[in-house]
Amino acid sequence: MKTQTVTQNKTLKTFGFALVLMMTLFTFNTAFSQTTEVTQERTIKGLVSNEDGPLPGANITLDGTRVGAVTDDEGKFTFPKKLKTGDVLVFSYLGYETQKVTITDKTSFITLELTPDMVEMIGAIDTNKPYKSKRKKN
Amino acid sequence: MQKTFLLLSLLFLGLCGINAQISDFNHVNFKKADSIALSLKGEDLTNLPELSFKLTNDLNTNAEKFRAIYRWVCDNIANDYSLYLKNDRQRQRFKDDSLKLDVWNTKFRIKLFSRLLKKKRTICTGYAYLVKTLADFANLECEIVQGFGRVSTTNIETLDLPNHSWNVVNLNGKWYLCDPTWASGIPNPKTNKFSFHYNDGFFLANPKLFAVNHFPVDKRWWLLDDNEIPSFDTFLKAPVLYGNAYKNLELHNAPQQMHHTIKPYEKVIFKYQLKDHTNAKDVKLGFDNGFNTWQDQPTSISIKDKSLELEHQFNQTGFYDVHLYIDDDLISTYTVDVKK
Repeated sequence: MKTQTVTQNKTLKTFGFALVLMMTLFTFNTAFSQTTEVTQERTIKGLVSNEDGPLPGANITLDGTRVGAVTDDEGKFTFPKKLKTGDVLVFSYLGYETQKVTITDKTSFITLELTPDMVEMIGAIDTNKPYKSKRKKN
Repeated sequence: MQKTFLLLSLLFLGLCGINAQISDFNHVNFKKADSIALSLKGEDLTNLPELSFKLTNDLNTNAEKFRAIYRWVCDNIANDYSLYLKNDRQRQRFKDDSLKLDVWNTKFRIKLFSRLLKKKRTICTGYAYLVKTLADFANLECEIVQGFGRVSTTNIETLDLPNHSWNVVNLNGKWYLCDPTWASGIPNPKTNKFSFHYNDGFFLANPKLFAVNHFPVDKRWWLLDDNEIPSFDTFLKAPVLYGNAYKNLELHNAPQQMHHTIKPYEKVIFKYQLKDHTNAKDVKLGFDNGFNTWQDQPTSISIKDKSLELEHQFNQTGFYDVHLYIDDDLISTYTVDVKK
């Protein structure tokens, strides 16, 4: 009889432990899922600057789409679409090198400085003016 | 067997070079691309990714997408003659002082991009840069080419600094040449005020014709076989070609020099490959001997298929600027010094 009670107690303890373990796992799993949910889609903000400071009018586009934002007078932006890890934002401004930033789990605010495209500016103008030889004056 | 293979390979490579031009796309109708570019006339440059998307999204092939971008740039960006003059003066001034030249280039680059963004006016590199940037957003492979451009009003025999920019684009695995600056229009010869006048001849142009007045700093962008690439000296001695040459000619074959010295009653021979059939009566030579200018028919003209050959006999001594006209379009200029 005593042996039976001990066996029953053991079974109850094992069952209880399993229950607690399952509940804990379930709770963690739910919590983990919620965390993943949060990191998957979120609002990204940022600040774009150039060599002189904040850069208004810079374009930020979600790569492969036409969804985008433009920096305000203080160089700040809030991307209009919620983004997830792995999305790529393309930062551009005429005369500056285009830069791509991949959203990671930790990305919430992007601070980026665009660097000038060091292209040498030159230009010859075509014309319909007939060539005229330089002649010595007699 | 190996020799045959080598010969066939060379022939294939040769054909690749010859064919890297608009005729590769005879099966493509660019009307849709052109009409999209036209419908977006007046768009500003504040959102280039969006502009590129609007220009290319409804087009299926890379050739059409590039065409829409190229055409939009040619039709919407004006050539800024005052900026050109200012830059030209300063570059000449600092050409022997690389530090000062660098400082000037940096300062000018900022000014130029600001002018392009706000007023849609620029010089060559601005055109080529914009074409490349818009092409990049559409995932098209496009590069800026820096080099020398010869036009009738530059000091054509003493080009010492690169003065021109154009583009190359990779379509279906092959590189092609185009010149958006010279395709966009020309300044009025008297007022120097720029007027838009699209010249389709500079789009995916024949590399052999392009080589007559474009000398790239980077040898890769000749798009010619090594044995066809001219030396810089040969380039500086070539005839002057005008924009209309690209409209009318497939090739400029002869003479390959600008200046000629002959005796009275000798002839100069001119050879060209035309793009379209032309009537002999529409081919004329213009002459300027320093006192008078006049037009005349050449001594003889032969047009077989699209091959045009002219001969002109010079009977009087004198120094002549000789201009070729087809359908009243000024095509090219040579000089002939006739002396005993």
